Amino acid sequence: MGSLFRSQEMALCQVFLQSEAAYCCTAELGELGVAQFRDLNRDVNAFQRKFVNEIRRCDDIERILRFLEKQCQKEKVPILRLGENPLTPSPRELADLETTLEKLELEMKEFNTNYEALQRNNMDLLELKHVLRKAQTIFDTGEMGAIQDSASHAELMNSLTSRCGPVASGSPPREASISFMAGTILASKVQAFERLIWRISRGTILVRCSDIETLLQDPHTGEDVRKSIFFAFYQGEQLKSRVKKVCDAFRATVFPCPDQPQDIREMSIQIMTRIEDLKTLLGHTQQHRQQVLTASAKNVDSWTVKVRKIKAVYSLMNCFNIDTTQRCFIGEAWCPTQDLERIRMALLRGSEAAECSVPSFITPLKTNDTPPTYHKTNKFTSGFQAIVDTYGVATYREVNPAPFTVITFPFLFGVMFGDAGHGLVMTMMASVLLWKEKVISKQKDMGEIASTIFGGRYIIFLMGLFSIYTGLIYNDVFSRSLNIFGSRWSAQRSVYNLSEDAANNDTTFVFPTFQLDPTNTSSDYIYDNGPYPFGLDPAWQLATNKINFSNSYKMKMSVILGVIHMLFGICLSTFNHTYFKKKINLICEFVPQVIFLSCMFGYLVVLLFYKWIVFTADKSGCTPGLLIGLINMFLLKHQENPVNKDGTECTIYSFYPHQSTVETILVVVAVLCFPWMLFGKPLYNRWHTKRAHYSEVHNIDEATTTESSTDDGHAGDGFMDVMIYQGIHTIEFCLGVVSNTASYLRLWALSLAHTQLSEVIWSMALARGFAFNSILGVPVLFCIFSFWAIGSLCILILMEGMSAFLHALRLHWVEFQNKFYGGNGYPFEPFDLRQIHEGVMPEPA
Amino acid sequence: MTLLTNLFPEVMFNINDGYLEGLTRGFKAGILTRTDYLNLVQCESIDDLKLHLQSTDYGNFLANEPSPVQVAVIDEKLKEKMVQEFRHIRNQAVEPLSTFLDYVTYSYMIDNIVLLITGSLHGRPIGELIAKCHPLGSFEQMEALNIASTTAELYNAVIVDTPLAPFFADCISEQDLDEMNIEIIRNKLYKAYLESFYDFCKNLGGTTQEVMCEILAFEADRRCFTITINSFGTELTKDDRLNLYPTCGKLFPYGIVGLTRASDYDQVRMVAESFSEYKKIFDDIGNQGQGGEKTLEDKFFEYEVKLNVNGFMQQFHYGVFYSLFKLKEQECRNIVWIAECVAQRHRAKIDNYIPIF
Repeated sequence: MGSLFRSQEMALCQVFLQSEAAYCCTAELGELGVAQFRDLNRDVNAFQRKFVNEIRRCDDIERILRFLEKQCQKEKVPILRLGENPLTPSPRELADLETTLEKLELEMKEFNTNYEALQRNNMDLLELKHVLRKAQTIFDTGEMGAIQDSASHAELMNSLTSRCGPVASGSPPREASISFMAGTILASKVQAFERLIWRISRGTILVRCSDIETLLQDPHTGEDVRKSIFFAFYQGEQLKSRVKKVCDAFRATVFPCPDQPQDIREMSIQIMTRIEDLKTLLGHTQQHRQQVLTASAKNVDSWTVKVRKIKAVYSLMNCFNIDTTQRCFIGEAWCPTQDLERIRMALLRGSEAAECSVPSFITPLKTNDTPPTYHKTNKFTSGFQAIVDTYGVATYREVNPAPFTVITFPFLFGVMFGDAGHGLVMTMMASVLLWKEKVISKQKDMGEIASTIFGGRYIIFLMGLFSIYTGLIYNDVFSRSLNIFGSRWSAQRSVYNLSEDAANNDTTFVFPTFQLDPTNTSSDYIYDNGPYPFGLDPAWQLATNKINFSNSYKMKMSVILGVIHMLFGICLSTFNHTYFKKKINLICEFVPQVIFLSCMFGYLVVLLFYKWIVFTADKSGCTPGLLIGLINMFLLKHQENPVNKDGTECTIYSFYPHQSTVETILVVVAVLCFPWMLFGKPLYNRWHTKRAHYSEVHNIDEATTTESSTDDGHAGDGFMDVMIYQGIHTIEFCLGVVSNTASYLRLWALSLAHTQLSEVIWSMALARGFAFNSILGVPVLFCIFSFWAIGSLCILILMEGMSAFLHALRLHWVEFQNKFYGGNGYPFEPFDLRQIHEGVMPEPA
Repeated sequence: MTLLTNLFPEVMFNINDGYLEGLTRGFKAGILTRTDYLNLVQCESIDDLKLHLQSTDYGNFLANEPSPVQVAVIDEKLKEKMVQEFRHIRNQAVEPLSTFLDYVTYSYMIDNIVLLITGSLHGRPIGELIAKCHPLGSFEQMEALNIASTTAELYNAVIVDTPLAPFFADCISEQDLDEMNIEIIRNKLYKAYLESFYDFCKNLGGTTQEVMCEILAFEADRRCFTITINSFGTELTKDDRLNLYPTCGKLFPYGIVGLTRASDYDQVRMVAESFSEYKKIFDDIGNQGQGGEKTLEDKFFEYEVKLNVNGFMQQFHYGVFYSLFKLKEQECRNIVWIAECVAQRHRAKIDNYIPIF
């Protein structure tokens, strides 16, 4: 906890790197991951920096790697992702990698062009095969004759109806033989194609189209395309050229198709053999390609990591200054002072690796800049630190609420989520995550929700444990109570008789309702044997006045927990005041705040305990009300206790003698705290600055020493500014004490809601299943159980758990942390090359 | 309800177009700023340019290109990115925004058609021409344009299926497709297109009308000026010229009459004198003296950029969509200009880009 209580001490350091060893040293520092570098060339363009060429080379390699990856995906070669983390390679390795990959790319591209050409060939042949087959059917079925007829008919119609068209005027004599053009076209373009042909020829060109059933592969994109065969019948040369133009326009492939059936048959046979030949050739090429790709698929991942690391190192080196002699690079970085020795070692290793005789070194600088906040966390505390950081990163070296949150957060959650059964389920779910931790943490891209849950696995685990604990205290397990120690209430015979009667009559079984009243000896249930050893007596589960009882109990408990929590928060502020040497804050903020809170709600808590201890069940008729009492205390209204008939005093208004005097004093003290908080600090500052000014006039030597001590917060501001600032804070605190205490009542409200909801789900679902007395109950219960289980899991554990989590979060962020936590820092983001294989790219700040 | 929507059309704007407007404003935030341009101008090579563009909204759009990047590739990729954004918005748009966005593409279509016809007239292969076409204005029948040899044929065979068909109705009278006629077709198409777009925006009403009509009126006037100035010394008669002027601009009707009569640059300037916006533009050109850097075209571009930037000042209207893509187009031109200057080591004129923000 020592390291988590305050953030690490940081120092701004200057790193001097010899130019020969700069790369190796930077890489070593990156592998260490403990230094946050500052960009010293902020106003220099990206392309004007020193190592822009190296970065460009890395970009190029990355491009080739992407290209390879795409090829692998296309060929469905799996890329091995071992998640390994190779060390940052040396610059020499970059050149090697470059040549290897460039060769590979060239090879791949050559393969691709060859393969594409072969495929194109293949596709043409396949299309031709289909065209020939179609042509054969046209000739065989005698469709040709019909076409001839209809063509001449169209011609005739055309010449009769229109004379102006260029088609009609230039048409050859009717006897001229009909020729045709055959080819393939994309199926999606068929309609437009047919329409255009019709438009330019007014129906004198006949088109027959039919789809090719099998899908063909586009050689360039590798996607499946649907194509159509077309036959265009026309007469004469002029129309031929037009058809040709249209075919060009639609990128149709035109095939030379013989017009005699026997020629077609011959050609088909030829084509078939050629297709077979090509198939084997394609197979071979494909196999070779696969081999090359499989070989590179093994390395793609580690190559990518390596290149990214090199790129990151050069990007960082771009942030360094170069000294005037060009001999060394100078970088500035925030480092934890603890790790300075490790950094020195890393620099030494880097120099050795580069075989550089002149050492690189690091020296701390003096600075007025606020250092970044760095909390050293482990896998357990990181989740809790994240909760705190989400609200605001701690100011440098201020008290970190995270170590306390480790316990208070799950505890407050448990108070709201008090059900041992649900807590057990939650604990088990978290345990699975903890057990499979190593396996899951290796997984990349879990998705936002999954990775959030996994990141909070320890929080969830503790939340579950605390829910079990509070659940046992509330004696709630899936809304039922456990009778572990034996109830201290004993039932009278009459109750059993009633229930037995009901059971014997075999009518619907109704359990008698009753109230528990410890003072009533004549009721069905009698209280004896002292208190139940742990938690709530299970007998309350059956009583109709359970809610009244638990409400009173939980409400009081919420106030007690809340006041303790807030007092603890205020006490933590002393650590900040003493550490930052602000004694005035201690006197004028901490002390009045504690007094204010204790006089109002601290006193209430004392009364709560007093009432619990002093007033037993016998005196229940004469117990004073806490709420009325509190209100009367502030109104300074006091009422005398009336006297009972038997002469004793009925303490309905006041708890103890002289209560009014004590309460009046408390209220007066609390009210006095207000001006104390409001004026104390501003007046002190004013006096202090005046005195400093006075001594400055009288003793110049002294002034220099006092000047540094006045440098606390708002001393430099005008008096009014400080006044306004202090006024806001004081009012906020005083109102906050009331509203925050009320806010802690959510502990009771959520716990009540949770209990009632699980009660409802029990009685609506599972209790119905138990109501059957016959054998039929078995299958019914079997079905109903799933409803109950799903309802419990989704509504009670996930949804209610989420809501209780959010409320616990709020209680910490608002009610607890505003008592002491500034949260004005900025996080420490070291240059860390180890993250790269997880897909995170370090950016120089 | 209807009363409410009639009185305050903005109330219902977000139901259909709110998301897209938000998206558009997001894209607008990615437009390069003055500092970006200052950095780009300092680049020593195309690789520097690429590196700097990486730090802007363009991100890794050139990352998969092997290192000596050609300017043509940059141009292509810039256009690709813009078209991608446009298509994304167009695919999610509903009426009347979808029609509005279609209108935006029509001007690119007109340019493409003219480019293809001129190209095939000069016997260039169609594949080469297609590559030069703007991808926003591509349509299915585009490649079939070279089939036709007369305008009537062009209309009957190809254009009739495209959304440009109604604009083409006026052009059919022309007989052969020669250079002059193509230019006339282009201008007539533009005239019809601008007038139709103008009417469409006017019918939309509200802020859209306010913003878009201003921009389109300028567009029309710019065409009037350009047509007039370009027609000096050609065989285009003054009456022909009148037929080409779009009638939705601020010049209509008196300015147009003046332009019809004009026979040299000074007379055009005289016409512009009576319109405050244009007077300023022409004055600026005049003040530069003979060795002035900026041409009239540049000045018009600058004014257009200003109008489009102003389009973003108001909310709940379609003008932002038009403006975004016009600004993006200007940005593409700027980047390509700078890239060309860098590639050809011709630094003297590198500052002639038109900054947007």
